[in-house]
Amino acid sequence: MWNYIVRRLLYNIPVYLGIILILMALLRFGAADPAYTFLGKNADPGDLEKIRHQLGLDKPFFVQYVQFLWEVLTLNFEQESWGRPGRTVGEMLSTAYIPTLLITVPGLMITATISICVGLISAFNRGRLADRTLMVLAVVGMSVSFLVYIIVGQYYGAFQLKEWVGTEIFAIEGFDLEENGFIAGWLTYCALPVIISVIVAMGYDTRFYRAVMVEESSKDYMVTAKAKGAGRRKVMFVHMLKNAMIPIITRVMTTLPFLIVGSVLLEYYFNIPGMGNRLLGAIFDKDFPVIQAFTAIFAVVFILSNILTDVLYALVDPRVRLQ
Amino acid sequence: MWKPQRSIVVRALALSTALSLAPALTAAPTTDPGPGGKDLKVIQLPLRSDAPKTIDPGRGSTTYDNRACSMVYDTLLQYSYLQRDPFVLEPALLTKMPICAEDGVTWTFQLKKGIVFQDNDCFPGGKGRELVAEDVFYSWKRQADDATKAKSWWLYKDTIVGFDAYRDAQNAAAKAGGKFDYDVPVEGMKVIDDHNFQIVLTEPVYRFIWVLAMFQTSVVPREAVEHYGNRFSRNPVGTGPYMLDEWTDLGMSFVRNPTYREEFFPTNLQEGDDAIVAESSKGQRLPIIDRVEYTFYKKDQPMWLRFEEGTLGYTQVPAENYETAFNRRTKKLNSAYKRRGIVAADVPLLDFIFRQFNMQDELVGGYTPEKVALRRAIILATDFDEFNSSFYNDKVIVYDGMIPPGLDGHPNNEEHRAGPEYRGKNIALAKEYLAKAGYPNGEGLPKIDYYVANSANSPEQADLTARQLGEIGIELNVRMMDFSSLIEACDNKKAQFFSFAWSSDYPDAENNLALFYGPNQSPGSNHANYENEEFDRLYEQTRSMEPSAKRTEIYIRMRDMVLDHAAFAGSMARTRSYLIQPWLRNFKPTEQFYNWVKYLDVEESLRE
Amino acid sequence: MTPKFLRSRGAKKFFKSRLATFSLFVIGIYTAIGIAVLFFDAITVDDTLQRVGPDSTPMIGEQKIEKRLRDADFHLARLESALNKKEEDVENAIANLALAERGISDKPREELKSEVARGWELYDELATQKDDAEFDAFDGKKKELKEQGIDDNEQVQKLAGNAADEAVEALVTSEDFVGSLEELEGIVAALYRPLTGWDATMYNLRRSIGTDRQGRSISIRALFSIKIALQIGVVSALISVIFGSLLGAAAAFYGGLIDHLVVWLYSTFSSIPSLIFLIVISYRFTGTQWESSLLPVYVAFCLTFWIGPCRIVRGEVLKIKELEYVQAATAVGFGKFYILLKHVVPNTMHLMFINFSLLFIGAIKSEVILSFLGLGVKNQPSWGIMIRDSGPEVVNGFFPQLGAATVFMFILVISFNVLSDALQDAFDPKHVS
Repeated sequence: MWNYIVRRLLYNIPVYLGIILILMALLRFGAADPAYTFLGKNADPGDLEKIRHQLGLDKPFFVQYVQFLWEVLTLNFEQESWGRPGRTVGEMLSTAYIPTLLITVPGLMITATISICVGLISAFNRGRLADRTLMVLAVVGMSVSFLVYIIVGQYYGAFQLKEWVGTEIFAIEGFDLEENGFIAGWLTYCALPVIISVIVAMGYDTRFYRAVMVEESSKDYMVTAKAKGAGRRKVMFVHMLKNAMIPIITRVMTTLPFLIVGSVLLEYYFNIPGMGNRLLGAIFDKDFPVIQAFTAIFAVVFILSNILTDVLYALVDPRVRLQ
Repeated sequence: MWKPQRSIVVRALALSTALSLAPALTAAPTTDPGPGGKDLKVIQLPLRSDAPKTIDPGRGSTTYDNRACSMVYDTLLQYSYLQRDPFVLEPALLTKMPICAEDGVTWTFQLKKGIVFQDNDCFPGGKGRELVAEDVFYSWKRQADDATKAKSWWLYKDTIVGFDAYRDAQNAAAKAGGKFDYDVPVEGMKVIDDHNFQIVLTEPVYRFIWVLAMFQTSVVPREAVEHYGNRFSRNPVGTGPYMLDEWTDLGMSFVRNPTYREEFFPTNLQEGDDAIVAESSKGQRLPIIDRVEYTFYKKDQPMWLRFEEGTLGYTQVPAENYETAFNRRTKKLNSAYKRRGIVAADVPLLDFIFRQFNMQDELVGGYTPEKVALRRAIILATDFDEFNSSFYNDKVIVYDGMIPPGLDGHPNNEEHRAGPEYRGKNIALAKEYLAKAGYPNGEGLPKIDYYVANSANSPEQADLTARQLGEIGIELNVRMMDFSSLIEACDNKKAQFFSFAWSSDYPDAENNLALFYGPNQSPGSNHANYENEEFDRLYEQTRSMEPSAKRTEIYIRMRDMVLDHAAFAGSMARTRSYLIQPWLRNFKPTEQFYNWVKYLDVEESLRE
Repeated sequence: MTPKFLRSRGAKKFFKSRLATFSLFVIGIYTAIGIAVLFFDAITVDDTLQRVGPDSTPMIGEQKIEKRLRDADFHLARLESALNKKEEDVENAIANLALAERGISDKPREELKSEVARGWELYDELATQKDDAEFDAFDGKKKELKEQGIDDNEQVQKLAGNAADEAVEALVTSEDFVGSLEELEGIVAALYRPLTGWDATMYNLRRSIGTDRQGRSISIRALFSIKIALQIGVVSALISVIFGSLLGAAAAFYGGLIDHLVVWLYSTFSSIPSLIFLIVISYRFTGTQWESSLLPVYVAFCLTFWIGPCRIVRGEVLKIKELEYVQAATAVGFGKFYILLKHVVPNTMHLMFINFSLLFIGAIKSEVILSFLGLGVKNQPSWGIMIRDSGPEVVNGFFPQLGAATVFMFILVISFNVLSDALQDAFDPKHVS
């Protein structure tokens, strides 16, 4: 088993190097000179060369590449952000990851819980009205753009709700966990984005889990259980769920990266200072150190989740280990 | 053994408990009981479009940096808050306005006594010390240091005797392995004693007085820079009315500086100020508000909603909401807002929005009658009034020339005209000129490259331009790019015809006329690459003149020279609309300077 | 190959499902519209930019008094500014005022001027009446409350507000006011040439869903966006599927170095968050000559979407490789490439179709996000741009643009969802329905 894990890790090293290479190349070649963005309107032409030198842009690409790799390897996050002088990349990372986690993790947990339950109910009532209705709802939910949910959600869920009820339940935007305490703060600022992300993801996940459950329900052990006289609920929860856990966990693992991506939009729209929002801002500012560092972190998360998925598969299917 | 039932139930219980805690969550409190139980005055204000990147005046450059720095730092001079049209400077850190000697280049300054930097760990014992003359020079010298990565050297370039030489010498020394020595004196910066100093200019340049009010020249203490190093960008130590409390990705908050010098609410109320200024504020010591919380709004809609719900003290009116707030015909505030007692204020900006020709371009540049005719045709086919109604709700002032409304040299008639043929729309005349240029109805004229920087509705605006010029047969090749690419193209003299905007750095037409001064050619700010010896001579002459009728006359001559050469198609100056809550008092909006937060007051009884 | 495919068992099963056939039909309609716009210029870009009425007008329903006055103001102001231009420009200016088919009346210049003047008279009168009624009541009530000693600001505002509302309501329902308003609207209508027949139908079609903030027809823009959506969806999905599938099949089939390379490639690409990748690629194109075309969108999507089909086809081919008939073919001596083409690929066709429809949906939905951030489609309307533009409108309570874009997109996407479900049902033996 360990052998397999090590092989997977080693295998992903060239992948990681490739990601960094592509990213840095994309940022540097051909696009407008970031030195201009840095200096702005009253730039003195003599200063341009100076700034380029100070930002390290005049070194050959290969040198810049190796230098960055070394920084990643030594976990050096001391580069100063170009867009926010005085703040290092590491500092920005350390403050940004918490809000992102506060949206993605609850979103993941709630989506998984609800989708699994709905998927179970659907699978169990396969073909009947409950199932058909739920599946129609799922497809309908899947066919509307994420953005529409955000726009409508923000307007009705935050602004209008406040008008109707009188006090603010969900904030239109913003993020402050200290004012009223952690839980109250979370509910005010994070609950609405989480609700939206749950609604968006539920369509896809419910259908998947339903498919998994249905497949499980046709297996032999289920017939045996029913033949033995086990009650419906027991059959559903104890037998079916337990055996479906592996594909469920695998699915949850694979959707984790997408949740991070989805949180970018939520953070941008709801002004939550998470990693996605910061990265988006950096791209618009052409803040290379931040873009590179954040993407390097994202890539690590992706790769680790990929490896984890592979390992889980290997646990299930020993044939995979031998490849 | 894993029991799914229980786990699901537990999760559900936890969630429902959490949800039941939801009710009665109020927004941030608007008053804080301070020490001794007295209610503190707190306000929330917006920072629209972007956030400050640094609160170090030596590294700042944008208006956002300006807003942050102006809270914490002082400059030698400040704008007299209530005076507009014209703007007037008054002493801030000085006892009186600086005195200029007969030679026109020697200025003597006297600092107020007893001004102290805020208490901070960088000082021994944590107590701030008194501000002295050396501090002023130190603050400017560090902008000469390459290590500071200042963007504001252009303010001091060729201005003070010996400063440029000092910069080159020290930077060379630092590069060679030594260090940039701040103790080496500069010839034109003379310390007389702790509170008196002299500055000698290279020539009698009048704009110097405005520079002394710009935030980049604020005074910073050496101890703080050395103590914090790079982190000084986030840890300000100033003499200003407020101190930085918190700075997150979402906003910044400032609290009153207890050791701020004695300054009182201005007494020179202008016409109409009685409605704005609260009785209780007259004669009050500044700052009046105890705590200011800024939120950064990259997008307009959340800012608008926050104002609507009563949280923000004021807001700029985004174009999308203009018709919600104002009646298009009467330009008056709509009834819903009037009922709430909200006040509208219009702030004319010192804008020069125009389309520039590259005078060195083969096709559109040049000073021969044919080339002038070609450009004049384009100018006469451009209809800025249509832009005004389509994109700016008719709130923009369309004028001739490069000098914005409110400044000496601006055509002061109702139509803001300097002459009958300086702007469109006159299709018949445009066609005439086009024929004179040798391209009757546009025949034989190749496509003109029109460079435009990406912004909110720039594609639509570019489309309109193309359509307007299409009417006389001119074809445009619209090239959209981001702002830095546009600057790059201009610096390389590649941009043939481009859309540009210039906001005056200080309220003097010299700032705009500099855009046509020969020596400022690309890669300088004269992106037009305009070369006119007589213009240059007049420019150099007026640089040292104080505002006067004579100077204004010369400004007008210079303006008309450029207009006669049809060097650009212009111009527009925007008017920004502000909406102010009834409870925010003493607010007279302006975008020329940003240290006015200290004058604001809150009338709690009017706040919901 | 194709007719044989259509006669296969899977295809028969597919067509048996009425829902699937219906979704195919809907997709067909969309495609027809898309082709009409793309190749026959049924709707041009100019059509989508043309103003057809006042800003933000919904399609139906009683409009509020303020909106009706504003609309009257809109028409009067335009005509006035055109009539006030210099003599030689008036003709042109008036022609430019036409709202699509609805042109300005042929009445002589002088008559139009006097009509406009009369219109303004009525407008100003009505506006002043309303203002006066409102604020007389408001201020009056406030004074009354102050005299009564009621101090609480919130309460005062509420009561005074109610008084004002009542006064306004009384005014706008009064006969005189209604009469004058209708007279005003009559004058405005008379400023335009009456519409008949085909023109009338077309114009009503344009106004059917309402206008956006620049007075452009929402229905026309939504219809035009079909073309954009189809273009983006088809090109991106097609290229991604073909390229990805071939690569995946080749990788699985030939194995060895090619396989390692391909797997390395897609692992790398898939480890960059797709949204970030899309944004960075689109951003790279800003400033280049292709910026205003759809090329950046195509490139961004193809580079991100090829991974899915590649992975799936590779997995499938790995299994097919082991099947007996393939091994038999190899044993007999057929060339590898021949086997790939003749035996392997046809058996993955169903996967390619399924992936195509899934990627099509993905492309459309991603375009919305890209356009929202300003990086997607430029210079042409698309559903993403409409949704983005509707953001501020929604805040002002105006939903037609958001609704139109969402519904048009929704129908297409759900049809593709149903289609891909049916395809999977029909062709994938392991699929669970």
